[in-house]
Amino acid sequence: MSDARFSNRKIVGTSVIPDEAIPLVEGDGRFLNDIKLPGMYHVAFLRSQHAHAKLKSIDTENARKLTGVIKVLTGRELLGKVDPFRSMPNRFSGGESVQHWLAVEKVRFVGEAICAVVAEDRATAEDACDLINVGYDPLPVVTDPRLGEKDGAPLIHDTCTNNYLIKREYQRGDVDEKFKSADLVVKRRFKIGRKQALCLEGRGCVAGYRENTFTLTLWMSHQLPYVVRHYLARHLRMAETDIRVIIPHTGGGFGQKASIYPEEFVCAHLALTLRRPVKWVEDRVENMVASTHARDQYIELSLAANSDGRILALSSDVWVDVGAYSTYLWSAGMEPLQTAGLMPGPYRIDALRYCTRGVATNKTPTGPYRAVGRPSAACSLELLIDALARKLELDPAEVRMRNLIPNDAMPYRNANNLVHENVNYVPCLELAMAKASYQAQRAEQRAAPLNGKLRGVGVACFAELTGLGTSTAVGPGTLLQPGRDAVTVRLETTGVLTVAAALPSQGQRIMTAMRQIAADELGMKLEDITSISNDTATAPYGFGTFASRTAVLGSGATIKASRELRQRILTMAAFVLQEAVEQLTIVDSVVRTLDRSKTITLAAMAEKSFFSAKDIPQELNQGFEVTAFYDPKFGSFAAGAHVATVDVDPKTGLVEIVRYIAAEDVGTVINPAVVEGQIIGGIAQGVGEALLEELVYDENGQPRTVTLADYLVPSALEVPRIELHHANTPSAALGGFKGCGEGSIIGALSAIACAVSDALNLKGGDIYDFPASPERVLRGLGVIPSEPMD
Amino acid sequence: MAREQSIKVTVNGRTYEKTVPVRLSLADFLRDHLHLTGTHIGCEHGVCGACTIMLNGRTARSCLTLAVQADDAKVITIEGLRAEDGTRHPMQQMFLENFALQCGYCTPGMLVTAIELLQDNPNPSELEVREALSGNICRCSGYQAIIDAVLEAAQQGNAAWTDWSTRSQER
Repeated sequence: MSDARFSNRKIVGTSVIPDEAIPLVEGDGRFLNDIKLPGMYHVAFLRSQHAHAKLKSIDTENARKLTGVIKVLTGRELLGKVDPFRSMPNRFSGGESVQHWLAVEKVRFVGEAICAVVAEDRATAEDACDLINVGYDPLPVVTDPRLGEKDGAPLIHDTCTNNYLIKREYQRGDVDEKFKSADLVVKRRFKIGRKQALCLEGRGCVAGYRENTFTLTLWMSHQLPYVVRHYLARHLRMAETDIRVIIPHTGGGFGQKASIYPEEFVCAHLALTLRRPVKWVEDRVENMVASTHARDQYIELSLAANSDGRILALSSDVWVDVGAYSTYLWSAGMEPLQTAGLMPGPYRIDALRYCTRGVATNKTPTGPYRAVGRPSAACSLELLIDALARKLELDPAEVRMRNLIPNDAMPYRNANNLVHENVNYVPCLELAMAKASYQAQRAEQRAAPLNGKLRGVGVACFAELTGLGTSTAVGPGTLLQPGRDAVTVRLETTGVLTVAAALPSQGQRIMTAMRQIAADELGMKLEDITSISNDTATAPYGFGTFASRTAVLGSGATIKASRELRQRILTMAAFVLQEAVEQLTIVDSVVRTLDRSKTITLAAMAEKSFFSAKDIPQELNQGFEVTAFYDPKFGSFAAGAHVATVDVDPKTGLVEIVRYIAAEDVGTVINPAVVEGQIIGGIAQGVGEALLEELVYDENGQPRTVTLADYLVPSALEVPRIELHHANTPSAALGGFKGCGEGSIIGALSAIACAVSDALNLKGGDIYDFPASPERVLRGLGVIPSEPMD
Repeated sequence: MAREQSIKVTVNGRTYEKTVPVRLSLADFLRDHLHLTGTHIGCEHGVCGACTIMLNGRTARSCLTLAVQADDAKVITIEGLRAEDGTRHPMQQMFLENFALQCGYCTPGMLVTAIELLQDNPNPSELEVREALSGNICRCSGYQAIIDAVLEAAQQGNAAWTDWSTRSQER
């Protein structure tokens, strides 16, 4: 049967051109800011100019008097009407912190919203913000987590002693003994700057009042429609069935649009109270201060090893500057807990100890961003492994090879309690080295410096836990275990199949992937399958798109639902064609007997099922709509090994990436060209993380990088051509899929950082702070004295 | 100075006469007054390139251009790239076939910039393509697929580019 079933061309594994890209390429995309409703008002927010201050007074009178202004809302007016954000309970929480949607007594970061102004147009709303007079009583600020955790430091939240929003200590294995008995111990420090996702489209929403049958309809640029609906209901004290959340085309997410923020909730409240639709669209300056930041870590780590390069134990101390609030939904634990907890990555490490802290400061809150925690975890360890290799005079790739979890040792439970299975760490490294002509590159590097530049080669391996099921928490320490999602497949009366899911795409072509999977499972033509993915009124329940989960959970649910639907179709077809079910198959959207003697199209089947139901026994016509949930239970490890080659100009400190090879294991591939785009796009963001992107604050907590002229993201000139290769192995999840949206940024930061460090080591220098700006590179070369630890 | 001013502007071959606030950007004019929302706003300070349009035959940042500056001008936006029969512009087709867009937010500016490049230089090298597009930020793709799309479009070359510029100007 299985042969017959797949006798049509397999569509999974084919780079089909996604229909969903057509409106985008033709200028017909419908993004949030493109939505206009009749009678719609516009909202602008007045934001704090101070990093930490008591609010003495807010005088809104002049703003209210401005022609065109409808309402000026303050935080006090919201008290008792809506529920503020209380930090999500976390096992490792340092205390509860409360974030009002509009600041009430205190402001805690520059950019925190204080007032919302509603006006007939956005320009008037912004004019009115300028007319509001806020009296600030400045308080001492915290801008450094290592100072902020000290006794006596100013407190950001009175409830959180030492400004700990998160703190966790962990040990497994006999770490002390291994450090004592090892042949050598290597230490290093690592710093990574604060950055942000920088979606090209900022956040925003349109809140509609009594659109269709819903009291509140929220169009929102976001990744998690049902989660938004749930929390809107809770905080606005409504029934969630009165709320509809719709996600229009979204101009980038990368995790920044997976958190819950005050502004959209304020807009929902305004639409309900004004009984009019309102719109707010974040401008770029707002985006730089009011959408979550990421990273901003300082790490001290050490490893114990034998003289053959085998790592025996790993110990780390992690400080994360998590900003002023525990980002709603995910808590402040994302970066601190994942950085320390996932540091062992793809390596066999049997003894692990860490202490990690998320310290509140007077900066914008940090939240999830592509590959949360793992880039700095991997990068700090990869740089430490390079230091180990130098001490032992071994090749850095060889040291990695000796420590990677080999396939024949799997399943392998590491010291962080994660089980590695169905993943190709060693094959990825072997492939990357072969494709990079690694040994030749090393020989060339030793031979002679070119044009006065310093040539560096960096090798990095990583593991990326994707597609988490219910037994592995996405937000460590929190109650959130979103490891389950649903997909509905429905054969419409004309024979078109609709695949519906609450899995919005920000460019991942998720629904094209779901269509490809349904096509193979059902034996349908791809062009006969359509999709809906962005609307709580039409999609079954799901958590949304984040954590490299969608290809795994969405596909699994699509497979389950399609198999059940196929069974229903064949059961009814057996009656219609008067044949045994076993003699039937579906090929190219037509049900036929295996001997091809009888056929009936799916369109005819659907029409009969719906319009001629009286002719068919009820038990044989169960309806051609199936919803299935899928929970992969565990996560699926994806992997990669990257080799970056850089030229460092010792005069200017400028780093140029001259060659970049990536070998990845992303499991069974659904649409190769889409996957390639995800991986290369992640590497590009890693180029930014390694060399360019940093959000800078001064000692008063004032942001210095609030435009794209100050905050540098890679252009087409900084991102090299990526040579991408695959060493895929299927996961244990249904279909063998793994997530691929995030992992490559881990390899990119690590490989580029290692390459720069490698180059500087040619001159006895090194680098500890990233991004590797020209200034830091020159520092690393000794132009400005630095204090290396090892 | 008057708060409003009348302008006459030809967009994608159609002429509009409108009275607009003098502080209105060309981007907001196109989007809010003409409902041509294909032009996207990414930074409103001229860096990201998402709002790039064709103004009198050259690319311009519509977020840094005031609507009143476009008085008497000819503007082409992404909505004007398709042929009258709806056929995609060859550059649009190349972007689609090369998977050169993910979220699609930068795409309108990328397309217009790429078309201008091939008008000026029908056979660019990869580096020349990268330089020409370096003022347009794409946060999703890593640029590679976009570069490949433009190089392939150049290869297919022929008269498509000149055709497009004259046709769209006159339409």
